[in-house]
Amino acid sequence: MAGEVPLFEAWCAPAWPGLRESVALRVLPPARTGGEPVPERALSFPELRPEHARRLADLLDAARGALRDRTALDVARAIGRVAERMRAPGDPLRAEALAELPGTTGLSPEMCVAVLDGMARDWTGDRLETLIEADFGDAGALDRFVPGPAGARLMAVGEPLALHVCSGSVPGVSATSLVRSLLVKTPVVLKPGRGDVVLPVLLLRGLAEEDPGIARAAAVVYWPGGTGEWRAVEDALLERVDLVVAYGGDSLVADLRPRLPATTGLVAYHHRISFVALGRAAVAPDSLEGSARDVARAVALFDQRGCVSPHAVFVEGAAAAAQEFAGALAEALARLDRELPPGRVEEAEASALQQLRGTAELRAAAEAGVAVLSGGTSPWTVVVEPDGDLVPSCLNRAVRVVPVDDLTGVPARLDGLSRHLQAAGLAGVEAARREALAGAFARAGVLRVCDVGELPFPPAWWRHDGRGPLEVLVRWVELEGEVGG
Amino acid sequence: MRDGTSPSPPGSTSSSRRPLVETALGPLADELIALFGQGVSAPLPAAGLDRLALRVFRYQLEHNPVYRRFCEGRGATAATVRSWTEIPPVPTTAFKHLPLLSAPGGEVDAVFRTSGTSRGRAGRGEHRVPDLRVYRAAALPNFRAHLLPEAPSGGDGFTIRVLALLPAPGDAPDSSLSAMAGFVMEQWGDEGSGWFVDVGTGVRSADLDEALDAAARDREPVLLLATAFSLVHWLDGGRARKALPEGSRVMETGGFKGRSRSVPRGELYRAVEERLGVPRSRIVNEYGMTELLSQFYEPVLRGEAPRRLEERRHVPPPWVGTQVLDSRSLEPLPEGRRGLLCHLDLANVGSVARILTEDVGVAVGSGFRVLGRTEGAEPRGCSLALEEIVEAARGR
Repeated sequence: MAGEVPLFEAWCAPAWPGLRESVALRVLPPARTGGEPVPERALSFPELRPEHARRLADLLDAARGALRDRTALDVARAIGRVAERMRAPGDPLRAEALAELPGTTGLSPEMCVAVLDGMARDWTGDRLETLIEADFGDAGALDRFVPGPAGARLMAVGEPLALHVCSGSVPGVSATSLVRSLLVKTPVVLKPGRGDVVLPVLLLRGLAEEDPGIARAAAVVYWPGGTGEWRAVEDALLERVDLVVAYGGDSLVADLRPRLPATTGLVAYHHRISFVALGRAAVAPDSLEGSARDVARAVALFDQRGCVSPHAVFVEGAAAAAQEFAGALAEALARLDRELPPGRVEEAEASALQQLRGTAELRAAAEAGVAVLSGGTSPWTVVVEPDGDLVPSCLNRAVRVVPVDDLTGVPARLDGLSRHLQAAGLAGVEAARREALAGAFARAGVLRVCDVGELPFPPAWWRHDGRGPLEVLVRWVELEGEVGG
Repeated sequence: MRDGTSPSPPGSTSSSRRPLVETALGPLADELIALFGQGVSAPLPAAGLDRLALRVFRYQLEHNPVYRRFCEGRGATAATVRSWTEIPPVPTTAFKHLPLLSAPGGEVDAVFRTSGTSRGRAGRGEHRVPDLRVYRAAALPNFRAHLLPEAPSGGDGFTIRVLALLPAPGDAPDSSLSAMAGFVMEQWGDEGSGWFVDVGTGVRSADLDEALDAAARDREPVLLLATAFSLVHWLDGGRARKALPEGSRVMETGGFKGRSRSVPRGELYRAVEERLGVPRSRIVNEYGMTELLSQFYEPVLRGEAPRRLEERRHVPPPWVGTQVLDSRSLEPLPEGRRGLLCHLDLANVGSVARILTEDVGVAVGSGFRVLGRTEGAEPRGCSLALEEIVEAARGR
């Protein structure tokens, strides 16, 4: 039986060619067996002990010099060449990614194509170059001192060594995190979440072929998080690194923080959700279907697990407008079931969906204005809820449609969630009031305001959780006074 | 209590009892009360559950317009529903949003509420009980059969020392568990019985210690009623060991809701064995919920006590039907396949009789085994974790 379960090697450490011989490999079997269109993968990974963690840190330290000798743009272009491989039909790297993603993420094969393309677009050389310039003004700031304000000169310096602890909910996020660390020339150990092991591993493997000098400054290793068994290894790494980047829930961060030495930095990306705000124009007869299509796509991508995924749609106008939009949204979600089929729905998620639907049906029987439309055995669900607030949905394309008299009333519906908001996707909002509305959203905690169509894949240079994604990884060093010719 | 009169039911808002024969619930309730009184040993006669369930269903369609519209939306009417398994189930979450009352007039004997923090507009689940006699009638025979098998059915006079690690019903009028324990205490509790949890301050350890010592001294077997939570708390207090007399027994409940138990069951039972002297073969788990007026017990005192706790199961009384449903399709599953527990409870005649829970289990013979909540990996994506954040934020 064991030989028949497909296996993915959830690790890559170009700095340590002998790792396979030096460290025992553990196999994590699939969590569930059977009933899947694409068999779930078992994962293999090295059973690191604290001494292995220290050796890995030593090897990454040794690779730092070579990484720092390169320009940031050089690094960007090397990564970009690997990204192009992942985007090129027929390239074996892309083929392997698409073969392994469904069985490791629980997303459908079609969804995996969409996610890979969306993510890899922002690993290309041009996009990464724009990112560097967006965060530092001058692309050379990561390489040398460049002119700063009032005659001083500035250089952006990445930390000597970092640990990235990533969640598994959205594939590609950990690969992006890896890329960012390399751009600021910080060697990195990256531990992906279980649902996101393929892309960072394949990206690093591709980089090892493309540019070994850079690749030796990174290691991607999976181990099961949250269990006591790996605590000693984690602690050994935490003693060595200067910066920790963590993605996940409050409990993860709360666990990590006290374990960090006083001088170790922590960048934490918390769980967040997004929403859509539709102005009257977006639900006018000639725009209705188009708006519904855009919203449906934003809801469906990542099976709604992303921080960019909308959990509610606020529709400006009378209750009838919301009902009409809900109907159009339901049709669009039903169509998307063919183009972007839903992936695996976990038992707890399925249970939550039953509770949501049955409760909404009862409320519809009791209250005027409440309605529910759903896909039956397909998980998508639309609930029209007058007086609704933004509430985290139970995922798998479950979304509330809430009528509001005016979009300026939306911030009041975000109550209690200000620290967990990501983006607001707009449509049908005229230029004249867009800025004022965005300002109101910003003060309510929203970090990004964009068109609905742009929600799912923010550009590489977006202010991730309100901060420059590269800037948050570096320290600015000032050189004051005269500099010789 | 012992003299035959009944005290005011917990949570009662009416100062005088209205004549029940004048309410539509009256005759049906009386019939069900008589049925429950026949006890749990014999199953209902063939098709008995279907027959009675359909009568309750028709009654609820008539007196609960919201439920009727909900059923109509699913194509379920008195004409089309032929078996209790076809009655549309109400999800437990709905109790947080709607009254779900099937009784004319809206007057109720009690409103029980689920525990937990209030969550924004929805708040805690509320179960309105128009006639507490039905609750009492369903609770006592089932309790006796599983916790007091030596007590004669129907006969008076049996008493036992009942020590409850629960708040008294008067202190927790919205607790269905306290109400049920109150029925037990009133029916069988001797003079040494008592309540040992204060709302707000928790277990009254010193008093409980004294009561346990007294029972040991008097050689009086004890019936201990507790939530797993309060039991863990009391045991954590590091009290001295008590040797409860032979014949003592423990009913513990809870620990299945949502998250896994904070203390594994085996560990808890071991601690009870060591510190109270009650062997695990005399510890009975009760599975119940605010939304359901009947309870499910493990029949360990009725001769079914497997050595391994994982092999135990809960059994419904004859007036309850439980199915295990596929979480995605809601199709009934055969024995051994895990799915969502869905109960049909005739005692819920005053609200809604068929309930879809979020509990996962497998059918085991005529009963079922409750399993944990999630299968496989931890909850994915932001939202399920975020629910806790929202709860905390709104509780502030």
